[in-house]
Amino acid sequence: MSVTGLLARSFFVHRVGSRSVFTSSKRDTNSPNWLRVGLAFGSSVFLWSLLFKQHSDDVLEYKLRNNIN
Amino acid sequence: MGWIPDEGKGLPPPGVVNRNSFWLGGMGWCAAMLHNAINHRPPLKSGVHRQVLLTTIGWFLGYHLTKYENYVHAKLDREMNEYMKLHPDDFAPKEKKTFAEIVEPFIPVR
Repeated sequence: MSVTGLLARSFFVHRVGSRSVFTSSKRDTNSPNWLRVGLAFGSSVFLWSLLFKQHSDDVLEYKLRNNIN
Repeated sequence: MGWIPDEGKGLPPPGVVNRNSFWLGGMGWCAAMLHNAINHRPPLKSGVHRQVLLTTIGWFLGYHLTKYENYVHAKLDREMNEYMKLHPDDFAPKEKKTFAEIVEPFIPVR
């Protein structure tokens, strides 16, 4: 009984000890994931507001430090 | 910011529209469009929320990158100017000759 022979025979043995419950389906592109869309737009708005706030803070700090008013 | 020390805050801040923001925002947009194209979706029309989000992230990072770049350049310039003040002999202005003094008279050989 060589190893190759044993391996060749295992091809015909069907395992019934386990089954998978996972199913797979193609993505439905017609109905968007509104939660993800909302989160993306929401975080974009948040980042833009953060950027403008940081910019105005920087301008104010620059004017204060160099006594420009 | 975290990586710019206190002295850097006296520098004029970059505008919201700046070169690094434009480039990184454009890269984010292209990344979103490439993602669409790889997944066989129409590149411009689909996933607008992704395009907007990636562009925004790029723009935001570009602004802070420009601020850091300005700080690094200002620091280097200050150090260079201080060195030049400490060693004025090395940076004496050269006396300039006009071209008329250098050029030899033209004697055509026919």
